[in-house]
Amino acid sequence: MSDRFVSLQKLSLAYGQTEVVPELDLDIREGELIALLGPSGCGKTTTMRAIAGLMAPKTGKIFIDGTDVTRTPANKRGIGLVFQSYALFPHLSAFENVAFGLRLKKMDNLEVTSRVEHGLNTVGLAHLAARKPAEMSGGQQQRLSLSRSLVMEPKVLLLDEPLSNLDARLRLEMRTELQRLQRETGITMVFVTHDQAEALALADRIVLMKEGVIEQLGTADELYNKPASKFAADFFGFENIFAVSDAGIVGNKGSLAGTFEAQDGHLAWRPGAVVVGKGPYEGTVTGVAFAGEQREYVIEAALGQIKATTPATDKRYEIGDSVAFDLPLAGAWHLPEGRQGVLMAK
Amino acid sequence: MTSKWTSRLIIGLTLTFLIGPFLIIILAGMSAGDFLAFPPDGLSLKWYIKVFTVESFQKSFALSMFLAVFGTLTALVLGVPAAYAISRYDIPFGETIKTVVAAPIIVPGIIVGLALLRYLVIPLGFTVTLALFLAHTALVLPYAVRVVLSSLNNLESDMEEAAVLLGCSRVGAFTRVVLPNIQGGVLAAFILGFVTSFNQVPVSLFLSGPGVRTLPIDMLSYMEITFDPSVAALSALLAFLSVVIVFVAEKFLGFSRYV
Ligand SMILES: Nc1ncnc2c1ncn2[C@@H]1O[C@H](COP(=O)(O)OP(=O)(O)OP(=O)(O)O)[C@@H](O)[C@H]1O
Ligand SMILES: [Mg+2]
Repeated sequence: MSDRFVSLQKLSLAYGQTEVVPELDLDIREGELIALLGPSGCGKTTTMRAIAGLMAPKTGKIFIDGTDVTRTPANKRGIGLVFQSYALFPHLSAFENVAFGLRLKKMDNLEVTSRVEHGLNTVGLAHLAARKPAEMSGGQQQRLSLSRSLVMEPKVLLLDEPLSNLDARLRLEMRTELQRLQRETGITMVFVTHDQAEALALADRIVLMKEGVIEQLGTADELYNKPASKFAADFFGFENIFAVSDAGIVGNKGSLAGTFEAQDGHLAWRPGAVVVGKGPYEGTVTGVAFAGEQREYVIEAALGQIKATTPATDKRYEIGDSVAFDLPLAGAWHLPEGRQGVLMAK
Repeated sequence: MTSKWTSRLIIGLTLTFLIGPFLIIILAGMSAGDFLAFPPDGLSLKWYIKVFTVESFQKSFALSMFLAVFGTLTALVLGVPAAYAISRYDIPFGETIKTVVAAPIIVPGIIVGLALLRYLVIPLGFTVTLALFLAHTALVLPYAVRVVLSSLNNLESDMEEAAVLLGCSRVGAFTRVVLPNIQGGVLAAFILGFVTSFNQVPVSLFLSGPGVRTLPIDMLSYMEITFDPSVAALSALLAFLSVVIVFVAEKFLGFSRYV
C-alpha cells in the first residue's frame, strides 16, 4: 500500500487570471477514503477536476501510483468521477450507461454484460436495467452514476458532493452504501463535501480547505477535537471563539474581563460548553430554538453574541430574558498564537 | 362578455387572413377555365395534373430540391460544430460570431443576391448553380446555428466530461453523447432550413441563368408569359407539401419546441 498513491505537488490552479489554488501539496494513501472539506468556492471542485485531468494545472505535478500524469489526457488517466449532477446519458438505458465505458474498451459482449450486471447488482439497480435515467429517482440516478464509474475499476474514484442532492434519509443510506463499496472494492476514493458531519462520518482522513489552501489535514477525531486554527475550530462547531488579552476575552462588540489565564491567542467553546443560568456574566436572550433533545440559545452579551445549548429539560428562557452565563476556562480549546492548540486543564 | 367576442373576432380575422389566401389559391387552381381567376371558372383538376408535365417546372423543382436538401445539409455540417463551439468553449468574439452568422437573416436577400452575382458569378466565373448553392447554404446557416444552439444549451456539459472520463476522446464524446441528445434540434433545423431555402425568392432572383432557375423564380417568370391557373395549382401543391412536412415533424418530434 502506497502512502503517496495520489500525490499533488506544488499544484497551482487558475481560471484565466483568477487564481483559485495557489500551491497545493497533498498525498493520498492507497485505498483510503478521503474528504475534501471546505466552504463554497474554496476550490474543491477545481482540485478534483485537476486530478481527473479535466483542467490543466498552471504549475505543479500530479502523480498517480508513482506515474507523473500531469500531461496525461483525462481519458487515459484511469480515474472515475461521479458528478454532482450525475451526468448520466439521457438517451441510454441504465444498462447502456454502465456499459458505455466498457464498450469503449472493446471488451467482448459477454464480458460487458456480465460486468454491467454485476455493477448494477452492487448498487441494487439490477431490476431497473432497462430504464432511462429520466425514469429513475434521484437516489437511483445517483447509484447508477456511481456504478457507471465503478465498473471501470478506476485507480481513483472522485466524488463531487455525491450526497448533496439527496434527502436526509437517502443521504444516510448512501453514506453507508459508499462506505461498504469502498471497503469491498478497496478503491481509493476522494469525495468533496461542504458538510462537516458527512466528512466526519465517512472519511478516513479529512482535508480542510480554505481559499485554495489546506488549513488542516487529519483524521476525523483530530479535526473535530483538535482544530489547528480559528477557521478549523469554527468549521467544526466551536461557535464561540474569542481573542485572549490580559486575562480577558475580546469579541466583536467588546470584551469580557475575567480570569481567562491563557497565553495570547484564542479561546474556543462549543455551544454545549457554555453554562446557562448561572455564572459571573450577564446577557440577554435574543434567540431561542427547540432542537429535540436540546435548546439552542443566542445570548447577546457585552462582548458580542454567545451561542449556547442546554438540555431541553433545563429551565427555559424566553427572548428578552436576562440570563447569567459562564464560559468555563477548564475544557475550553486554546489556540495560542503560532503554536498547537491545547485543551485547557480542568 | 365583450372582450370574449372581441378576442374571437380577432382570432377569426387572423385565421381568415392566414388561411384565406391559401383557400383562394387552391380553388383558383381547380378552375376549368384557361385563365387564373377567382372565383374559378368551373371546377376541374386538369391544372393540378398539368403542372407535373411542364418541363421547366420539373427542372426547377429538381434544382430547388437539390438546393434545399444539400444547402441545408451543408449548413448543418458547418453549423452544428459552430454551435457546439459557441456553447461549450469560451471562444474569443463568441458574441460577434453569433451576430455575423445571423447576418444573412438581417441583410435583405436582394442585396445578398446582387452581391453574389456581382462579385462571384461575374468576375470569378462561378456557375449560377454554385452561387445559388453558396447563397442558400449561407441563408440557412443562421437557422441551423440558432436552433442547434438552443438545444445544446439545454444539455448539461457535464455529460461530455463524463464520457471523456469513461474513455472517449472529445470528438467521440460529441458523436456518442451530444449528437444523440440533440437529434431533435438538428432535425428541426433541417426542416426549417429546407422550407426557408425552398421558398427563397429575393436571393435567387439575381441568380438565374439559361435553364437554371429555382422553382419560385420559374413560377414568377411563367406567370409573366402565361396566365393560366397552373401556377395557382402548383402553389397549392407546394403549400400542401410544407404543411405535411411540418405536421409530420410536429407529430414525431415536437417540432415547435425548437423553433
Ligand atoms: N469556470 C470558471 N471560471 C472562473 N472562475 C471559476 C470557474 N469555476 C469556478 N471558478 C471560481 O473558482 C473558485 C473555486 O471554485 P470551485 O468550483 O472549485 O469551488 P468549490 O469549492 O467546489 O465550491 P462549492 O462548494 O460551491 O461547489 C470560486 O471562487 C469560483 O468562483
Ligand atoms: Mg464544487
